Amino acid sequence: MKTVFVRPALCIGCRHCEVACAIEHSETGILFSAIHEEKISHPRIHVEVGENYLTFPNRCRHCDPAPCMQVCPTGALYREPETGSVVVAYDRCIDCAVCAMACPFGIIQFQKVYQLDTNREVNAKCDNCINRQIAGTIPACAEACKTGALEFGETNELIRTSRKDFTLRMLKSGGTDTEGTQIPANIRAFRAIIEAMAKL
Amino acid sequence: MYDSFAAKKRAEERALDKTDQEIIEKAIEDGVETAWDRLADQQPQCGFGQLGICCNRCSMGPCRIEPFGKKPVRGVCGATADTIVARNLLDDLATGAASHSDHGREVIEVLLETAEKKAQGYQILDEAKLVTVATEYGIKTDGRKKEEIAGDLARSMLEEFGTLKNSIRTVERAPPKTKEMWKKLGIVPRGVDREIVESMHRIHMGVDADYTNILLHAMRTSLSDGWGGSMMATEGSDILFGTPTPLTLTANLGTLKSDQVNIVLHGHNPILSEMIVKAAGDPGLKKLAQDKGAKGINLVGMCCTGNELLMRHGISIAGTFLDQELAIATGSVEVMVVDYQCIFPSITQTAGCYHTKVVTTSEKAKIPGSLYKEFKHETALVTAKEIVTLAIENFPNRNPDRVRIPKKPVTMMAGFSEEAIRKALGGTYKPLIDAIVAGKIKGVVGIVGCNNPKIKQDYGHITLGKELIKRDILVVETGCAAIASGKAGLLVPEAAALAGDGLKSVCNALGIPPILHMGSCVDCSRILVMAANVAKELGVGIGDLPLGGAAPEWYSQKAIAIGTYFVSSGVYTVLGVPPKIFGSQNVTTLLAAQLKDIVNASFAVEPDPVKAADLLEAEINRKRKALGI
Repeated sequence: MKTVFVRPALCIGCRHCEVACAIEHSETGILFSAIHEEKISHPRIHVEVGENYLTFPNRCRHCDPAPCMQVCPTGALYREPETGSVVVAYDRCIDCAVCAMACPFGIIQFQKVYQLDTNREVNAKCDNCINRQIAGTIPACAEACKTGALEFGETNELIRTSRKDFTLRMLKSGGTDTEGTQIPANIRAFRAIIEAMAKL
Repeated sequence: MYDSFAAKKRAEERALDKTDQEIIEKAIEDGVETAWDRLADQQPQCGFGQLGICCNRCSMGPCRIEPFGKKPVRGVCGATADTIVARNLLDDLATGAASHSDHGREVIEVLLETAEKKAQGYQILDEAKLVTVATEYGIKTDGRKKEEIAGDLARSMLEEFGTLKNSIRTVERAPPKTKEMWKKLGIVPRGVDREIVESMHRIHMGVDADYTNILLHAMRTSLSDGWGGSMMATEGSDILFGTPTPLTLTANLGTLKSDQVNIVLHGHNPILSEMIVKAAGDPGLKKLAQDKGAKGINLVGMCCTGNELLMRHGISIAGTFLDQELAIATGSVEVMVVDYQCIFPSITQTAGCYHTKVVTTSEKAKIPGSLYKEFKHETALVTAKEIVTLAIENFPNRNPDRVRIPKKPVTMMAGFSEEAIRKALGGTYKPLIDAIVAGKIKGVVGIVGCNNPKIKQDYGHITLGKELIKRDILVVETGCAAIASGKAGLLVPEAAALAGDGLKSVCNALGIPPILHMGSCVDCSRILVMAANVAKELGVGIGDLPLGGAAPEWYSQKAIAIGTYFVSSGVYTVLGVPPKIFGSQNVTTLLAAQLKDIVNASFAVEPDPVKAADLLEAEINRKRKALGI
């Protein structure tokens, strides 16, 4: 199983992923025309910010079983067999938002899509960029991410990276270094400052 | 739905001052958008930008550097994080220096036009200062008319903006040891404009790639501002409008009046606001105001043009940078007149919620939705009268049901020019030096700079100011920092009660506040002159003195220029908001540590004002020890 793995410590809130996602799901697929399309494409990934100014890119996890799929009364949500992604048949969506109520991550947003002739808003959640995946490229958000906060690959492989990293640090530090991803000193200093500002 | 409890809580989070809180609540109730709302809408802000590792200079880009040690480590051109951060910083600093210096140029141009009798309504008010400065410039003054001297002085100063002469006379005011240090580093400024233009050249792709070399030029550019452009702005303004002397006035949003025509003067240059003051005194206009049902014309200042006016005329000050929208949200402002710098581009949107008209006056600074009345020096007074008339005629449009003005303006003292402080001490700095040697005063810290919605309004200024005076450290202030202290009641002699015993006794003996208001942001040059004069009396460099600087709530590129000329002159400076440099460990280390070995001062970043006071006190103690006191 492949997924876009999130390493929150590496997210610096630039929102490149949001822009890349919106372009990818626009009609023209080009930044300069996407912003002028009739039905503007909005991002399906959301970089959220905490009280301490630190950020987290929140995105569909393509759960299996998927609560949204289970509650959809019209069968608009289905699993694409090749990639295992949960996708929406826009023409079957009735805009009831029950899927959004069931979603444990709160990532479902409704918007107008160019694929439909009508102006109604439908569940336009992350489709895992299946078209890109079938064409042999990775999801747009992971491609756009320059810091490795969003990484695409085999889930167990990506977890293994984290595990090895963790194990190595535990062994080196004799069990004292339990922090997550290694962050350079200058970035740690900067984050400490903005967290201090948030607390004032 | 409007929730008054939530609005009150939000107002308390946003500002320290009760009168500000009252109007923030009203703005929320009225649905008026403010900078705090826009900051929330901007979250999250781009980390590449915050770390300074985004380069948007050429069309091979935009590029960004991966900050966690992975790829990309270079932009398309090959620039590393060090180069990109340094270039971005120099860009910001040059913008700030240009803002101060272009303001200075306009003052000197008016001085020249006044000398040539081409400017309307202006005159040379401070002849003594004219003679002092002209003498420094080697201009003959004996038996000459003030206009002749002023003409020569203005031309000499304007020449120093260019590149022909390659030196700036006011830089010579620095103590010999400090100048020697600059010479050794190769950072003696050669011209006000030249350094800024060279900055723009150096940050072009394929010019300067060495971060140390870029930062050295940043220091030189900052010196051309502090010891050049800004200093000329101060001196020119003093010659035209008078050197400030201590006076008393009132501050905060409560200075707006419910029964008078309210005109808010916002921006930076005294050239415009001085003429409005003159126009508002016109008997015909006073009569017109009464005819329209107003009891008078109430001028209040805002930001640094407000500081210029209060220093010389004791005109009330409505507030700081973050008060500009709040003043309008009182519903009581007929006209807000602006020149340039620190004016929200959305201020006309704010004004559109009420009857307020925004009048722009500078060809350099137009705002969509404003009324543009170009302010030319040769027709200055006529334009000023038109603006005042406009305000009076707008008075009947005020809707009293939408007006709320806080009740209590606060009394404050200002007018502490370098000359005034020296005079109060009896002509020399000896009494101050004695007090410092005796330990009654441990040192002096200049708190300067802006507001930034990322920090609770005025919290940084006030907490740091109180913390320092408690520790017997005399505080001098300019800009929004000084206005903040005024609003908080710290600029009165009675505030000495909050100071430590040593500082308290000095303040009580002289009848001065423990925090001295020295003027607008270009008047940080007054702080430099004061430091230079003290250093010269002692025969040391500025870097040897127990001084410090702080910008607890800075937002503007001008503050980067100020902070850098403080540090380059030898004054350790603590910033309350991080500059966009943390993407490069090398640049950060150079500014926060290595500079100490070069100029005996460095930068620090500390948002917590109590911890900032600890840092400043430690630095002051380090320098006291080195001086053997």
